Amino acid sequence: MAIHIFNIARQRLINIRMLLKIMGWLLMIEALFMAIPTAVSIAYGEKDALGFVIGLLATLGTGLWLNYRARPTSHHMGKRDGFLLTAMVWIIFSLFGLIPFMLCSRPLSFSDGFFEAMSGFTTTGATILTDGRGYGHGFHLWRALQQWIGGMGIIVFTLAVLPMLNSSGGMQMFNAEVTGITHDKIRPRISQTAKSLWIIYIIVTVILIALLAAGPMSLFDSVCHAFGTISTGGYSSSETGFLQWSDSLYNKVVITIFMFIGGMNFALIYKAAHWQWRPLFSNSIFRTYCAIILAAYVLFAAFIVASGQANSWEDVTIDPLFQVVSNLTSTGYSIPEYLYWGPFTISLALALMFFGGCAGGTSGGAKIDRVVYLLKNLRNELYRCLYPNAILSVKVNGRVVNADLVAKVVAFLAFYVCVVIIGSLMLSAMNIPIVDSFIAALACMSNSSFDPGITLFGSTYATMPTAAKWILAMMMMIGRLEIFTILILFTPSFWRR
Amino acid sequence: MRIVIAGAGEVGSHLAKLLSDEEQDIMLVDPDSERLAVLDANYNLMTMVGDPTSFTSLREAGVASADLFIAVTPYESNNLVACSIAKTLGAKTTVARIDTYEFMHPENEGLVKNMGVDRVIYPEYLAAEEIITSLKHTWARNWFELHDGQIILAGVKLRDGAPLVGMKLKDFAFTNRHFHVSAIKRNHETIIPRGDDHMDSGDILYFTTTRDHIDELLVLTGKNEHRVRKVLIMGGTKIAIRLVNLGHEEFRFKIVESDLARCRKLTEKCPDCEIIHGDARDIDLLNDLGIADVDAFVALSDSSEANILTCLTAKELGVRKTVADVETLQFIPQAENLNIGTIINKKLLASSGIFQLLLDSDSSNSKCLALTDAEVAELEAHQGSKITRAPVKDLGLPRQLTLAALIRGEQGQLITGMTQIQPGDRVLVFCLAGSLHKIERLFN
Repeated sequence: MAIHIFNIARQRLINIRMLLKIMGWLLMIEALFMAIPTAVSIAYGEKDALGFVIGLLATLGTGLWLNYRARPTSHHMGKRDGFLLTAMVWIIFSLFGLIPFMLCSRPLSFSDGFFEAMSGFTTTGATILTDGRGYGHGFHLWRALQQWIGGMGIIVFTLAVLPMLNSSGGMQMFNAEVTGITHDKIRPRISQTAKSLWIIYIIVTVILIALLAAGPMSLFDSVCHAFGTISTGGYSSSETGFLQWSDSLYNKVVITIFMFIGGMNFALIYKAAHWQWRPLFSNSIFRTYCAIILAAYVLFAAFIVASGQANSWEDVTIDPLFQVVSNLTSTGYSIPEYLYWGPFTISLALALMFFGGCAGGTSGGAKIDRVVYLLKNLRNELYRCLYPNAILSVKVNGRVVNADLVAKVVAFLAFYVCVVIIGSLMLSAMNIPIVDSFIAALACMSNSSFDPGITLFGSTYATMPTAAKWILAMMMMIGRLEIFTILILFTPSFWRR
Repeated sequence: MRIVIAGAGEVGSHLAKLLSDEEQDIMLVDPDSERLAVLDANYNLMTMVGDPTSFTSLREAGVASADLFIAVTPYESNNLVACSIAKTLGAKTTVARIDTYEFMHPENEGLVKNMGVDRVIYPEYLAAEEIITSLKHTWARNWFELHDGQIILAGVKLRDGAPLVGMKLKDFAFTNRHFHVSAIKRNHETIIPRGDDHMDSGDILYFTTTRDHIDELLVLTGKNEHRVRKVLIMGGTKIAIRLVNLGHEEFRFKIVESDLARCRKLTEKCPDCEIIHGDARDIDLLNDLGIADVDAFVALSDSSEANILTCLTAKELGVRKTVADVETLQFIPQAENLNIGTIINKKLLASSGIFQLLLDSDSSNSKCLALTDAEVAELEAHQGSKITRAPVKDLGLPRQLTLAALIRGEQGQLITGMTQIQPGDRVLVFCLAGSLHKIERLFN
């Protein structure tokens, strides 16, 4: 593939053929993943198997057809192609991923299926199922697997396996999908970076499955919960959701640790895995992450004691810690007791959900990195009120951050709040109560399925109107792809030169 | 190959982009974070903000496990120190960009090696050599010789009226078995031609041939050679100084330089040459200097634009051969379409040196020439390599490259589909940018 630095020849705005070809590859990869629940469904002799086989064939067939028919004249991919492809992938993956949901023994409607699939891929974990009963193993595994793929990222996985994307075009896709302000590369070539990230991800997942299976969970539930935990998604394969396992101290401890890992920057985990601990512990974002968890834990514990709910040592140690980590990393697993801890813990939990984990991890939210930038900038601005001539800079990890980057972060956070407000306005226009609208919008935007116990819809979105489900599904995608990737598509300058 | 490049200046970033296209692992180190941010966001390589002469940052950049360390900061002494550190830390091969001849002198070779510098790149020296080659072969745009001229690759611009214009390649090959058309450069694009492609007026054709048939090529392309003796140089830059020192026995140089202080310095550095203080963009001055009698005009000033335009003026005034130093890469395709003879670019020359290391890091047997979007390389076929397993037509070679000629023993011969390459053959390969790594796989 010759990259013509000198090629002055006019290039198309969007290389649509190339996009279709890559889309073909991506669908084949989705089909590959879909084969796993298909096999499980067949192995358990479930009726759902037929739906899975149809879904698998449809996905594979479309993928092969696109890949065969699209003949790109140029392999060049620019920024626009990267943004467009990344945005389309998440929609198209959900469209194909919902086929088994529509054809299973308790079929979902098209809108419900899309919501469920999008919620899976974006690791939101919000569900329209009222209970887990009556769904097959394949069904649950597919939901869990969707989160697991979406956690590290569909594009990142593709970059790791398709050598053809090991170029600048692949870089653009990587930048459009990976969370964070700047995108750390951990190896010189993009495919190596993607491979390293996925290898770490797979290793951590396997360890988690083994640990969970060693406890009270069955192997199947271990796999599903491991996928839901490490991707900070929050789907559960159990009949009553995670509540079924919240009595087990062992499960709570293991899951807390791995939700914490899921909220970390995987580039740092990669370095730690190579025995470079210094970058991890000296990283100011990671330290803030730990500090926030610690501070929130202390507050939670204090309020648990104050509300008289501290009946055993577990109530003030692992329970609040579990809830704090679960909310901060936008996983959304919760233990039943938190409903009695009082309103402050619930509002704090919502605030944590907004923060999110570290960029470069699998969690949602606005990301701690941005909050750190914002707070440091805020301090500078206040100081500047007193000393207008002071030259101040935002310093993170001992390096001065470019003023443009700080402006971008501030813009991002402003956009984030705008999207949440617009989303809740639209929801309330459908006669959804104000509190419900706001919490649903914030939760979906932050890719969290947390149920604060004060909404009417509770832990399931089944009662939402159909239009609301579509709005929330779109918000999940905007949240997962960190706003700009999606919003840029709606600007005129994206489609014009 | 893991390559660490220190210095993201013009040469450094150009090398980084090219080598990244060649599927190498690139780590680019520079103290300027803003310069790196652009490269980091748009190219498939990794960047690190750091001082190229600091142990800490070089260690962090992974120099210890690097196969190649290239120091191309603007300062020679920094480059040497960086190489020295990199070598101590464990880099396999180190390359430093230099700008004094002393470091290249055979007498000092051992000393430089002891400093931890395996290779030096001296772009100004390479440029001077290139200019001398082009002054010797005035009718060709590029000239690449193998093994004392046993095999020659010449880039020639085809003009209206040349016998070859409009001819299909397969017809040409049928009548002339002594030439191999390796590539055609047409409107900013280089193509590896096939039998159905034809040759047009305005194309730059890259012919490979043996020494005995070079005269036939002159006739076929409608060119004639003329001997160059008097050369007028515009701009007393480093290249000009090297050029005068390298070629003063063969040519008579005159340098026009507009800066008086520089002129004074030139009188010391170029003793055998006439120095004139003045602006070469001034036509009256050119006429005064007898431009009509000059055999060649070489524009080497710091401004690419001035070089291109003054060469055009010189052509109009009757100079038959002009050479321009064009440092802005984007201008090169434009300049090639204009009526300027040979174009020199330091970045491309530096890349040639690095590509050679890429192809053959153990020995200096390979030779490489970087063109704007293609490369020419000479390589040895190793025992058991893929290239020796079947006749060329059955090898299933990628479309981006072509095998032009080979040297077996002492004898040069052209390669056809039936040729079976043997281990030990030295093969001339022409390939488009971004496919050099494929060649490497074929030959090793």
